[in-house]
Parts: sequence; structure tokens; C-alpha cells
Amino acid sequence: MKDFIKLSNVKKTYKVGEIEFNALDGVSFEIPKGEFVVILGPSGAGKSTLLNILGGMDDVTSGNVVIDGENIENYDKNELASYRAENVGFIFQFYNILPTLTVRENVDIVKDIVKKPKGTMEILKGVGLSKHADKFPNQLSGGEQQRVSIARAIAKNPKILLCDEPTGALDSKTGVEVLKLLKKQCDANNGENTVIIVTHNAQIAEIADRVIRLKNGKIESNTINKHPKEIDEVVW
Amino acid sequence: MLFRKMIRDIKSNVSQFITIFLMVLIGVMAYSGIESYMDGMKTTADTFYSENNLQDLNVMGANFTKEDLDKIKEIDHVKDAERKLSITALTDKDKTLLLNFIESNNISSFYIVDGEEFSYDLDGVWLDEFYAKENNIKVGDEILVKYEDMELHEKVRALINVPDHLYDVRDESELYPDRKEFGFAYVSSNEIPESFIKNKAIKEAGVSEDIFDMMMPNFNYKDHLIYNYVMVDVDKKSNKNLVKDKIEDEVESAKAVIDIKNSNSYVQYQGEIDEGKTYVGVFSGLFLFIALLSVITTMTRVVKKQRLQIGTLKALGFKDSRVLLHYMGYGFYISLFGAIFGLILGYFIIGKMFIGLEMSFFEIPNGKPYFGIQNYLVAGIVVLIATLISYFTCRKILKEKPAEALRNEMPSAKNTSFITTRGIFKNLSFSSKWNIRDMLRNKMRTIMGIAGVVGCCMLIVCSFGMLDTMNRFIKLQFSDLFNFDYKLVLKENISDDKLNELYDKYGNNTSLSLGIEIEKDGEKEANNIFVDDSNNYVRFIDKDDNFIKIDTDEGVYITHKLAELKDYKIGDKVRWHIYGDSKYYESKIIGFNKDPQNQNVTMTRNYLESLGIKYTPDSIYTNKDLSKVKDISGVESIQDINALADGMENMLSMMKTMLVLIISVAILLGVVIIYNLGILSYTEKNYQFATLKVLGFKDRQIERIFIKQNNWIAIISILLGCPLGYYLTDWLFKTAIEEHYDFGAYITIRTYIIGAVGTILVSYLVSRFLAHKIRNIDMVSSLKANE
Ligand SMILES: Nc1ncnc2c1ncn2[C@@H]1O[C@H](COP(=O)(O)OP(=O)(O)O)[C@@H](O)[C@H]1O
Ligand SMILES: [Mg+2]
Repeated sequence: MKDFIKLSNVKKTYKVGEIEFNALDGVSFEIPKGEFVVILGPSGAGKSTLLNILGGMDDVTSGNVVIDGENIENYDKNELASYRAENVGFIFQFYNILPTLTVRENVDIVKDIVKKPKGTMEILKGVGLSKHADKFPNQLSGGEQQRVSIARAIAKNPKILLCDEPTGALDSKTGVEVLKLLKKQCDANNGENTVIIVTHNAQIAEIADRVIRLKNGKIESNTINKHPKEIDEVVW
Repeated sequence: MLFRKMIRDIKSNVSQFITIFLMVLIGVMAYSGIESYMDGMKTTADTFYSENNLQDLNVMGANFTKEDLDKIKEIDHVKDAERKLSITALTDKDKTLLLNFIESNNISSFYIVDGEEFSYDLDGVWLDEFYAKENNIKVGDEILVKYEDMELHEKVRALINVPDHLYDVRDESELYPDRKEFGFAYVSSNEIPESFIKNKAIKEAGVSEDIFDMMMPNFNYKDHLIYNYVMVDVDKKSNKNLVKDKIEDEVESAKAVIDIKNSNSYVQYQGEIDEGKTYVGVFSGLFLFIALLSVITTMTRVVKKQRLQIGTLKALGFKDSRVLLHYMGYGFYISLFGAIFGLILGYFIIGKMFIGLEMSFFEIPNGKPYFGIQNYLVAGIVVLIATLISYFTCRKILKEKPAEALRNEMPSAKNTSFITTRGIFKNLSFSSKWNIRDMLRNKMRTIMGIAGVVGCCMLIVCSFGMLDTMNRFIKLQFSDLFNFDYKLVLKENISDDKLNELYDKYGNNTSLSLGIEIEKDGEKEANNIFVDDSNNYVRFIDKDDNFIKIDTDEGVYITHKLAELKDYKIGDKVRWHIYGDSKYYESKIIGFNKDPQNQNVTMTRNYLESLGIKYTPDSIYTNKDLSKVKDISGVESIQDINALADGMENMLSMMKTMLVLIISVAILLGVVIIYNLGILSYTEKNYQFATLKVLGFKDRQIERIFIKQNNWIAIISILLGCPLGYYLTDWLFKTAIEEHYDFGAYITIRTYIIGAVGTILVSYLVSRFLAHKIRNIDMVSSLKANE
């Protein structure tokens, strides 16, 4: 179980005109099951690219990506879709919820792709949205919208939760609430769920089990936090 | 700088702008082309009629003397009058020529296509240009014409068009002029041979030639020339009726005075214009409408896509008016170019092409489309609408605070929340809910989509429906009503012996048509009576197409449509007199019948005779096989009903080419509308689909969601389009065609199926094509676009 996620020498090259540019330049690391991981790095470091590759949304130029023993870089489009449906929950900075569906329906749609989703109301209660179940996204605040997107992600009961700057658009108080929810998801399921958060906010690193620092497409450091702080201990 | 931005924007939205450009172009082209064609039809004829002085009245009689002519000329308001002798002659090649002998040519004067002007002193013939062309006759050739004992060898002096002969058929049962077999010709009456006139005079006197010579030692045939027509030119159109009455009263030889507006040539041409105006008005209107639809939707979208940029411009400090002007430029320039090209192509391609087609059918010189002011008006309106749409769309965005505009558009909740969150909607599948909301949220787009697809379905149904109706008409007319194979049209003065001989051979199933004038509330109108003694060889139907018998001898039957037009009820009396006889009769209406072609009066032979009028049949009906018989003595012409039906079907095949054109335009517009709206909703949905993809939805699942909506729209459109197609067809037939027709739409199930399947197919194929693009959605960049 040591190497639940294993990347070896992953490269992602973009070609802009004649110039080739490595957004990821030989990235290797391993993450065991159940960790709460924070990926830190300045803007343009390749964090989103890395997360997209982990989530099966983007392909690699070279290198191997093994998730739970499967080499996903060899998957075709449909296999990737199934992989995303069954294993991955995504959370973005700008929520990406469907504007024409109500809160409840936004969570409900995972029923179309997952065999055994969690109960919608139960989840909405968990994220504190049960009162807003029949509202439309534009009737909610930013923090509430992000909670919808978390509810939708965890409704699938994913083994991996990938979050790209989840608190980036939120004030610090709301951000803390969101982080608590993410941590809760990590601890659920007997601590088997893995959560990976991309951020440029170094404070979040204090609560992580593992911190990976990225710069110019390369791993700068990969450290294990022996004593992660509780969220409330951190001064935000 | 902003101008450069506009050029860049146009470049990066090139397909949308091309769509707008093309739609404006097609819409304006179809409209102005068709309008300039129809207006051209009218002005071409008006010019020809006035420049070549078409007569206002035709006076018909057995013979008009010089005194008669002078008398007519002296009537108030008469500008000029000319006599002519008009006879139907044969050529040595067995063709028929309507041969006219004239003294001068100031009324209905010739348009010389090739050759020399008419002169009384010149021999030779001025010949129908179309006939000459069909028969390969040139100026200088000699033709031989025969009539009774007269034989004329005449050199062709010129090929001509005459305003009185735009459209000539040998007899009115022919639906289509046959220029190879039938034409007109003019010869100076100086050319009438003395023997012809003298023989006629001798016959009339009933004596031998010797005795005649003794009786009339100074017989000058020129004083005895026969003229059966006087063409009258009236000073003002409004005085026509005055002159008509005067001639009827004062000139004894005048059997009938007929307004030129009732002459076959005039009626046919006018009919073509009237008919065209409605058909064409409907179709050009539809094209314009559908084109506008897609211009509006596309323009709205293009501007909406600029939301972020509008916000940015505002944030930079541009004044609202400046931004508005900039975006109005989009709509204005593109649609202006489209409209200008549309006007040009409309005139030169559509207008010229259709006029060209008509001018090969109607014999009229210098046919050209006429470019009326309304074309500029419509083009202007189209440009205005495109500009206004960009104006309003932009203004809506400008009204928001810059910060809001900089954010992506979020749907307002109030549009979507009502009903769709409760009741049965709760249990619908996610994709249905999503589609319903999406449609409700974009009501305008949905309505336009439906309107466009309804138009497409309607046009298909209407095109095939017109064919159905025509086929139905052929069956009704030529096998239900005409229950015979041949109609023998008898010579006018056939002897009783001859008649009995024909009865013996072909049966005595006969009829008589009487030209009458009906007077109602002081107004007189030409009509005719069909006197039936055909023993069911001619059948009749009621308004539901069930057979009825016309066998009551107490009065007359009239057609439904005539009753409707003239407000007659059963029991009313019809007041009428036969042309050439001023005695009026009053007949009780005892029943209605329906006739698809002819709105007239029908009576039995017994009833006619009970009025004291002699029944002298003019037609015999028979089922004997006459396919090899060319000529029967005493018979003017033999009409083969199957040949007539075939002629009709020929005309249908002409119609078919036109319908193919309409159908392809319908399909083209359907494709453009669905594609256009699809592309719009596609870019709009791109981001949502990317989100679904991230969640793990498979491409197929997302495609299905996408196609579902277009399928709904297609189904709704079919449900609306089929009945609307029926009403359009019915309306076209009922109100658009000439008054003397009476048939409504008759559309078969097959046509509805074709319309439905065609619409579904168009919608499905386009959606599939669009759905394919979903496979190419790049999740990463689509979602990034939102950041
Ligand atoms: N589609 C693309 N084409 C070219 N370059 C790209 C593309 N996507 C990302 N990049 C580049 O790759 C680098 C890493 O991007 P990203 O992973 O989004 O950075 P971040 O760490 O800020 O999330 C950036 O320099 C970006 O410009
Ligand atoms: Mg990023």
C-alpha cells in the first residue's frame, strides 16, 4: 500500500509555436493511501498541470502515472472517463458547478455515473447546505458554491480528492470551513481517502501530512510533516 | 484601435460572421429577386401594352361594314378603332394559324423582332415570332396558308410580337400553348383574294355565278370584305363601360363587346402575375423570416460572447456610447455588405432567371425585372434589425456594473426555478431536467429554433402537398368529372343531318355551353351555362366530392364558389341573358355543385328547352377509341382527355423542378438554423460539458444529452409544422389562385411522413455532426477559460 500514487519521471511538454516548454520536467514522487497532501509552488510552476494529470484530465508527454496499481497513462478516453467517475473527485477554484441545476441536482447528477453514490441529503447536511438544497447556484455565496462543489465531489465517494486552489476565491474564514470539510473527507472511510490540495498559500502546508514543493516544473522538495497541526491551531 | 479590434473579432468569429453575411444575402436576394421578377412581369407587360397600344375593347360580330366602323369611331371617348378579320387557317404542314387580315396597324401594333414594318400595300405575312422559331421559319421564307377555298402564298415580311397575343391556345381546353402547332399571323386585307369574297357573296345570294354577275355587274369585292372584329381604343380606362354600352346599343352588327381584360391572353398573363404574387410573397417572406431568425440569433451570440471584453472596455473608461457604436458596427457593416450583394444578385440572378423563364412562355419583348423601391426598404430593414440586435444586446450588457460584466454570465434563477423544481419534474432524468432548464433559460433561442425548424417542416409539407393537391385535382377533373375519353367539339353551323350521323357513330351524349352575362344588383358579369345532356358522361360532385345527379328540370345549379362570390342562396333567382341576344331570363337556383376549374351555371337540356331556347349541342362525348382518328367532318376538334391529363402532368413536372428548389432551400435553411443554434448553444454549453467530462461522464452520455434537446425541438416543430404546412397549402390554393378555380389542399399521409422524416433527419444529422465536437472538448482549456 506504500505507493498508492506513483509518478516516475513525468514530463509534460507544451509546444508554443517553435518553442517547446516543459510544464512538468521529470516529476517523480509517491503518495501512500490516506494522506492529506499539499502541493505548494508559485504561479506557473506546473501545479494545475500535475493535478490534471493525476485526475486523468490530461495526458503526459512521457513518464508513468500509476494510481492504485494501474498505469493510467495508457488509458483510452473511455477508460479515463470511468477512472474519473469512480476514483476521482475534483474541486476547482471557481467551483464549476452547473448553473442550471439546483444544489440538490448538482449533487444528484453523480447518480448517472456512479453505481453506489452517497445519499445526497446526507452529504448536503454534512457540508451544511441542507437548507439550500432547492436553490440555484447564483442564489448562493461563494463559500456555499464551493461547498456544493465539494458535496458533488464527495458524493461519488472517491478514493482521491483533487483540489485546485479550493480556497483561492474565498475569504479566510470561509476558506477554513472548506478546509475542514476536505480534512473531514480525508479522515472518513477509516482514513483511506487521499486528498491532494494545490495552493500557493504556505500556511495550508502546516496541516498537511505531506508537502510537495514545485518550481519550474520540477520537484523542489517532498517532505513529510511528522506533526501536522489541527486546522484551528493555525493562525490564518 | 477599436476598428482594428472589430476586424480581429470578425476574423476570430469568421464562421458566425459568414453565416450572418450569407443569411442576409440569401434573404435579401430571395426577396428582392422575386419581387423584382414579379414587378418586372407587370411593368414589362404594362410597357408593351401601352407602347404598342393594346385595344381596350374587342367588338365581335359576323361582319362590320365601313359604316359600322365609322359609327364606332364617332362614339364619345373612342380614340380609334380598327377592323380585322380573324380566322383559323391551316398551313401546308398541318399547323394551325390564327390568321388576321387588317387594314392598318395602329391598335395592337406589332413589335418587330426582325423584318419590316406593316403597310397596307405590302404583300406578305407578319408572323408570330415564337411559332416561326419553333418551326424554323425566317424572314424571307414563304409559307402557304389555307382556309376553305382560299390559298395564300405569302413571304414572311417580319417576325413579330403583338400585345394581344402574349398567350394563345388553339382552344381553351388546352392548358398550355403549343407554339409549334399553333401561332398567329397578320396579313394586309389587301391580300384577300377576290374569288374568296366573291364566292362567299354568291353563296349568300344563293344563285349561280352567272346570275350573280348579271345581278351585280359592278361588284367590287373590296366593298364586300368581311371583318368580324373591331378593336377599340378608348381615351380613358374609366370610360370603357360607357363606350361598351354605347356600342351595344348603337351598332347592330356588334354581337358582343368584350373588355380586353377578359381576353384569354390578358387573363392568362394577369393570372400568372396574381398567382405569382401570392405564392412568391409567401415564399420570399418565409425565406426572409428564416434568414432574419438566424441573423438575430447569431448576432446576439456574437455580442454576448464579447461580454468580458465589453466589461474590460468599460473598466478602461470607454463611454457607453462609444462601446455601443463599436458593437453596432458589427451588425451594421456585415449586414450592409450582405444586403448590397443580396440586392445585386437578386436582380441579376433570380430576377433575370425567372423573367427569362416567363418570357419563354409568354410572347412579350424586352422582358426585364423591375427594381422597386420596396427592395431597398426591405434591405434597409434587415440591416436595421441586425444593427438594432447588436445594439440591444450590447446595451443589456452595458447596463450591468463593469464588475458583473467581467464575471461570466450566470443564469438568473427566476427563469428556471418555477415549476421545474417540483411535481413530475422532480423525477425526470438529469438530462431532461438540464435540457428543459436550458431551453427555458434561453427562451429566445428555443423559440427561434422551433420557428426555424417549423418553417423547414412547413415548406417540405407544403411543397409535397402542392403536388398531392394537383394530382388530386387531375384525378378529380379527368377521371371523376370527365367520365369520357374523347370530347368532340362540333363546328358552329353543323347541319342536322351531319349531327345525326355523328350521334349514330359516337352516341348522343352531348352538351352545350352558352356564353351569358349575369346581372346582379345592376352589375353585369360574363359567365357561361353548361347545358347537360351527356347521360352521365360528364359527372358532378357536391362540396365533399360526392357524386350528385343534375337531373331536376325546374331551375339551374350553380357552383358553390360562384354562390359564395355572388352571395346566392338556394331558391334565389339568377338573371341572365345570352350574348348576342338581349332577352333576359330568370332562373331559380335549385342546387349547388362543385367545379374545380369553372365557376358557372349548369342546367338540364329539358330546362333549357322549357325556356323556349333551342338546344343545339356543341360537344359530343364518347368512349370510342379515337386515338388514330385525326379529322372528323363536322367536328372542329377532338379532345383526348388522357392527352389533356398528360398535358396537365407535364405541367406538374415543371412545377416539380420548382418544388425541388423550394425543398432544397427549406433543407438548407433547416440545416443552417439548427447548425447555427447548435453552434451557439454549443459554445454556451462547452464549459458545462467540460465540467461533466471532469466528473467522469463519457462522451456518448454527453452527446445524448445534447442531441436530446434538438430532438425535442424537431418533434415540437413537426407537430406544429405539419398542420401549418396544410394551412399554408390550403391558403395558397384557396385564395391565391384565380377566382375561377375551386380546390383546397389535399395532402396525403405520405407527405406528412416525408415532412416529418425529412425534418427529423435534417435535425438529427446536424445534431450528430455537432455532437461530434463534444469529443474534442479539451477539459483543461475549457475550464481554464472560465478562470
Ligand atoms: N495549454 C498550454 N499551452 C502552453 N502552455 C501551457 C498550457 N497550459 C499550461 N501551460 C504553461 O505551463 C505552465 C504551468 O501551468 P500551470 O500548471 O497552470 O501552472 P500553475 O502552477 O500556476 O497551476 C505555465 O507556464 C503555463 O503557461
Ligand atoms: Mg493553477
